[in-house]
Amino acid sequence: MGKAIFKIIIGLLVGAGLWVGTMALEFPPVFRWMFFAYAILGTVVFLVLDAPSMKPMNGAKAFGAVLVFYVILCVVYIAGASLWPQYDPEDEKGKIEKLLKAKREASEQGKADELIARVKALDEQAKALAERIKALGGDLAPPVQGTGGPGAPASTAAAGDMLKIGEDQWQLQECYNCHKLKGEGGKKRGPELDNIGSLMSMDDIKQKILDPKSWMTEGFEKEFEKGKMPDKYKDLMEDKDVVALAVWLSTFKNTSVNTPKSIKKK
Amino acid sequence: MKPWPRSLLTLIGFLALFGGAAYAQVPGAPPVEFPYTGNRTAVWIVAQLHILFAAFILGAPIFVVISEWLGYRKQDPRYDRLAKEVTKVTVILYSMTALTGGLFIFVLLATYPQFTTWLINHFFMVFAVIYPLLFIGETFVLYTYFYTWDDWKGNKKARHIALGVLLNLIGTITLFVIDGPTSFMNTPVKGEGISPAEFLETATLWDKIYNYTWMPLNVHRLVGNVTFGGFIAGMIAAYMYMSTTKDEERSYYDWMGFVGNLIGVGALLFLPFMGYLLSYELCDYDASICPYMMADQLSMFFEMQGAMIGLIFLASNYYIWMSMKRIQGVEKVRMTILAPIVMVTLPVVMTKVMTDYPVPDPMSLAFLLPMLLSPVIFGRFIPITVSARTIIKVGFLMIVVGDAIWMTPHGFVPTGAKLVAELELPSDWNFLALMPAKNSAAFTLVFVTVVNYVIYNRAISQGTIVWGRIDFVSQFVLIFLAFSAIWTMGLMGAVRSLLRKYFHTYNLMPDFTAESFTPTLSYSAWWITGITVVFFSVVSFAIFVTLRASHPKDHVPEGSPVPAGAK
Ligand code: HEC
Ligand code: HEM
Repeated sequence: MGKAIFKIIIGLLVGAGLWVGTMALEFPPVFRWMFFAYAILGTVVFLVLDAPSMKPMNGAKAFGAVLVFYVILCVVYIAGASLWPQYDPEDEKGKIEKLLKAKREASEQGKADELIARVKALDEQAKALAERIKALGGDLAPPVQGTGGPGAPASTAAAGDMLKIGEDQWQLQECYNCHKLKGEGGKKRGPELDNIGSLMSMDDIKQKILDPKSWMTEGFEKEFEKGKMPDKYKDLMEDKDVVALAVWLSTFKNTSVNTPKSIKKK
Repeated sequence: MKPWPRSLLTLIGFLALFGGAAYAQVPGAPPVEFPYTGNRTAVWIVAQLHILFAAFILGAPIFVVISEWLGYRKQDPRYDRLAKEVTKVTVILYSMTALTGGLFIFVLLATYPQFTTWLINHFFMVFAVIYPLLFIGETFVLYTYFYTWDDWKGNKKARHIALGVLLNLIGTITLFVIDGPTSFMNTPVKGEGISPAEFLETATLWDKIYNYTWMPLNVHRLVGNVTFGGFIAGMIAAYMYMSTTKDEERSYYDWMGFVGNLIGVGALLFLPFMGYLLSYELCDYDASICPYMMADQLSMFFEMQGAMIGLIFLASNYYIWMSMKRIQGVEKVRMTILAPIVMVTLPVVMTKVMTDYPVPDPMSLAFLLPMLLSPVIFGRFIPITVSARTIIKVGFLMIVVGDAIWMTPHGFVPTGAKLVAELELPSDWNFLALMPAKNSAAFTLVFVTVVNYVIYNRAISQGTIVWGRIDFVSQFVLIFLAFSAIWTMGLMGAVRSLLRKYFHTYNLMPDFTAESFTPTLSYSAWWITGITVVFFSVVSFAIFVTLRASHPKDHVPEGSPVPAGAK
């Protein structure tokens, strides 16, 4: 027992030490608590290591104990997972809706086209049948009329502020995961872009987005070789969105940020 | 279960598979709406259940055959008994695999008819010919393997073992084949400068199968399945240990639990590296997958994974610790002081080395290999030794430290878009959240575990094991390991599926349904737990009917209550 108390005291001391130490190093409070929690985990581990052994169980008692154990595990895992910060799906729903809008229209258009084609084929068959019947001298069946007209007219591009669309695309395509802009996002995966407008024209940026291999950023040669910037936007984005994004980016001319230069490769 | 209902279940599975492949050729049925769960979660549940059963029936035979062979080599009947008991459970779960597989394809076709048809058509040979043939082969060989167990003995034993190897061969090929479409959905073939849709039109079946993540997924799953099989064997042993009062049975099941855990942990040691390989390939395919996983929407899923893996390593080492306590003479075991020194310095040194020479630079090995091997190479020249007890305790400390590093996030936010300074690591300490630190944490866990097993080995060569006398708590540890390993699988299965974002097939086949968003970790945890519980109930039931019912007289002493603990 004395030993256990000793361990608890040590554990708390270590925890307190970590708490104070990380405070001195200017860790935000969440991290201080996290380090404290690690110390508690360590304490529990060392308490359990030398805990007195458990008496064997049997029969119904063992069955009950296992059942209770499962219930505890379920509760702990669900609660544990729920304690972490949760991503809000609502944040994403609107985004996905916008991202897929053009593709959905295209696919519905595709479906409509398919329907029209099928109706047309039926039409042909009906006509052929009617011809044959006619040739056989039977009654003249009126040919079935196709019902499908041309598909819905292509949706007119939402007129609106180009720059707004550009900014929207930056968020939708999650460029911020690799590029810092206005001090947000980045994590050094790619160059910071606040001064990109002074270095690249709208057309250059557009070319870079559509074909990342077209420009190589200085200081990011390794990343360029590895093809870190995804070569997929040409398939995922509509042309007008790429233009809007490029236009929006080319307005960033903050010379106080050291955006690296790119060399034309293609 | 009698053979005939078993075969019936398997047959239903087949019919569903063939029916599914045929039905996929008929276009046009509108999707159904699953009540309560919604379509996506419905598919999630059946798919994950199917994977769990499949993982077991593929993973268990691997060590069953090894165990059978060991029994043959060492002429130790315990190994043979273990192999046969696990096979019995496997045979029952085999029909569950077929059943859930059939259900899976049906649910898929009912909920996502367009996409499923598209996928089946792209892999028509696989779904309509190769997979069914493999499945039939597997069924045939598994049942033959099982029913010839008692006949092919003595000089026919080698033949029986060969059959087991064949079983594993078919099983592994089956896994590799089905991983084709699975990995294709994550990383479809692509070519530079051509759109994926165009490339796909000219791609051969082999191109589609041999995509970026196919091999990494194969390897990770193969090894993951062995871990999982080992831990389930441990759980079988725990159930049986608890349900018997006979000393000889207890010592047998104590031994079986140990062997199951040993196999589970042995394979577990490789998993972090294979996991990294898998994510490395994913990021190589499309570097934006990486932040989605580690920094954005799924970052907290990986926190949970870190927590789970930490717990699994803690528990498996705790089990070794308790196994050691029951060895008489363990106090005499000592080891070079270099071992604890390496343990303690490893996280720091390795983080530094991996930062300076990032993967895949082989230079890092030039530093790390000598360090890791130093206890073996230089140990004999340095006369200072430390007691086993001390080393193990230092080891536990380092496991906690390793877990701590593994779990320290870059920021306490569910998406990079919401990162603010109050929730972010100070930039001087950001390295704690980067790959080199995480690698070193994983390596520390692995290293400590290996040292513990080395100590264990020395202990048994110097002392005597008293089987059946292990601390009873260890049985709960075995159950815990099985439960947690399965939970982790469920979590990572969800992660792999979610990595496709709002696509069925990444960047190729958009998911237009309203459910294509990333669910919360909490929501996922509910379902993962539910799936784990269903799986556990079925497995527990299977263990109960096969092993308890097979020789009740040996197990239930006169007058004692029926040990319901066999659940
Ligand atoms: C996975 C990370 C990643 C994503 C996502 C990403 N990029 Fe990049 N980007 C890079 C890297 C790395 C470089 C530098 C290497 C190179 O030249 O390719 C780069 C370079 C650039 C450059 C040239 C910068 C300069 O200083 O000359 C521009 C412009 C650019 N990206 C725009 C975008 C836009 C717009 C998006 C979103 C549609 C985007 N990037 C998404 C990684 C990424
Ligand atoms: C000790 C460490 C690990 C363990 C025990 C482990 C275990 C497992 C298991 C059992 C599976 C399921 C295999 C199957 O479905 O057959 C799995 C899948 C997966 N693992 Fe790991 N893993 C570990 C480390 C990692 C790491 C470090 C990563 C990535 C950073 C990772 C990423 C994945 C992914 C993405 C899957 C999904 C594959 C799928 O189910 O289709 N794993 N893991």
